[in-house]
Amino acid sequence: MSNGLSLSNVSKYYNEGPNRITAIEEVTLSVEPGEFIAVIGPSGSGKSTFLSIAGALLKVSNGQVEINGQNITELSDNQLSDIRLNEIGFIMQASNLVPYLNVLDQLLVVKRMTGKVSSEDKEYAVKLLKGLGLESKLKSYPDQLSGGEKQRVAIARAFINNPSVILADEPTASLDTKRAHEVVSLIAQEVKTRKKAAVMVTHDERLLTYCDKVYRMEDGKLTVSNI
Amino acid sequence: MFLAWKELMHSKTKFTMLAVIFILISWLVFLLSGLGNGLSTLAASTFKNMQADYVVFQQGSKNSMGKSLISGDLSEQIVLMDDVTAASPMGISMASAVNENDAVGEDKVDIAIVGIIPGSFLQPNVIEGEGLTADQPTHVIVNDTLKDAGYKLGDTFKLDGSTESLTIIGFVKDQTYNHVASVFTPISEWQKIAFAAPGSDKGIVDPVNAIMLQGSKIDPENINQQLTGTDTVTRQAAVQGMPGYKEENGTILMMLAFLLAISAFVLGVFFYVMTLQKSNQFGIMKAIGAKNKFLYKAVISQVFILSVISIVIGILLTYGTAAIMPKEMPFALDTTMMIAYSIALLIISILSSLVSVRMIAKIDPLKALGRVE
Repeated sequence: MSNGLSLSNVSKYYNEGPNRITAIEEVTLSVEPGEFIAVIGPSGSGKSTFLSIAGALLKVSNGQVEINGQNITELSDNQLSDIRLNEIGFIMQASNLVPYLNVLDQLLVVKRMTGKVSSEDKEYAVKLLKGLGLESKLKSYPDQLSGGEKQRVAIARAFINNPSVILADEPTASLDTKRAHEVVSLIAQEVKTRKKAAVMVTHDERLLTYCDKVYRMEDGKLTVSNI
Repeated sequence: MFLAWKELMHSKTKFTMLAVIFILISWLVFLLSGLGNGLSTLAASTFKNMQADYVVFQQGSKNSMGKSLISGDLSEQIVLMDDVTAASPMGISMASAVNENDAVGEDKVDIAIVGIIPGSFLQPNVIEGEGLTADQPTHVIVNDTLKDAGYKLGDTFKLDGSTESLTIIGFVKDQTYNHVASVFTPISEWQKIAFAAPGSDKGIVDPVNAIMLQGSKIDPENINQQLTGTDTVTRQAAVQGMPGYKEENGTILMMLAFLLAISAFVLGVFFYVMTLQKSNQFGIMKAIGAKNKFLYKAVISQVFILSVISIVIGILLTYGTAAIMPKEMPFALDTTMMIAYSIALLIISILSSLVSVRMIAKIDPLKALGRVE
């Protein structure tokens, strides 16, 4: 029982014609609140599958996934939506903001998915955005933001529902070195202060210094790396 | 509503263009329906505004005044029958009027001469002047559209091809038959005009075209059995039996039906393409926890807002067009009809957006994790 993210003996197979393709195999991993880990590996190694499973987007073939102490392997699609909404914060690639919402509404729309938006929610959203240095951009639209700013909005959006797990999918893919460092250090800082279990999937090895542990994914198998 | 409205406000150009298409469609629907309504009013308002429930025709006349010829004496028998509260004979024939008082005196006006018993329930309310009296058979009341043709109270006009002259003593409103103004005369005068040629009454005593009945619970079968050679129908059926009435209305209705069907496809395709464009966004929102229901609501409420705005503008444009239309145009807007077509358009647009809603259900949130676009 853990309040973070825990995968035990998780496997995922795909059937491709008569062949069975193994995407990930017997992955066991536990991330505690306040812990920030990285998963690296070449493309095709199963990183995406791993992240989709941890993010309640993909069902496992074998094994068990627990988020905040709840086993999610047997849940229905609607229940998985609720898990994603309340327990998981996704930080996706820079482009994944809603184009017609301003920065503040990007966060509030997540609140709206749970029901009504209270004034406390609004205050919390503003506080989060201020903490990430976006106080002057609250009313800006994504097309008026730089890549780094967009990613900071995505970070704030991931934290708005106070989830127990933060998943970052190549958060620095479209950023230069300086902005990449900025963004990852911000993630690390928020993860530590807000005590979240965080996983970052990346192939950018410059950024691993911010992480507590580094795992390497290769051919569907997860091993501790010593970088 | 939140997402729907934010997006409408953010992409004004895109939605304005879509709204323009919708406005034009609704405008056309309302114009056509107004035209249809106007035409059918012009064709049959005398019949439609009549305080009668049933009409007794000659058997085999196919509910048409022009084909029917029966004796007015029958009304005395019919009024004694079950559930008949009143019965009164009527005759209609077409004629043209030549104004005797007119100096030029050359413009003829098409009229329909409607013979009724003065003071019966068939006599419409006079809006100006006096009503019909039995002792002055050549004194008539006419539809007020004849004013536009230069007639006024006290004018006398001759009937083309006849020796009869009629004097206008009153005006009535909304009384047209077969697209021309109705002229109400006492039935004796109408008989003189209609059966001027010897033998044209086929020897029938007190010949009339039909007998109009009042009484909401009348059983037509009962009357048909008791009076051989008659055919009793509802007033609505008699309106349908007017020459050309069904054909005229059918044409307009067919155009409307096609227009509505086409608009359903056009709007459906637009909404579908719009949703298709946004499938990536919907994927992202699903990935961060949005349920299908949340997204359905966003799409449908957007279509709803857009439809309501477009329909309202369409209605305003229609009333604007009606205001500048020439008076002779047969165009009549009816509030109930406008509401009915507005609701039909709204339902059509919502239904056509359901195709897009089905697509949302199929969007895989995994798409959001796709690598760099």
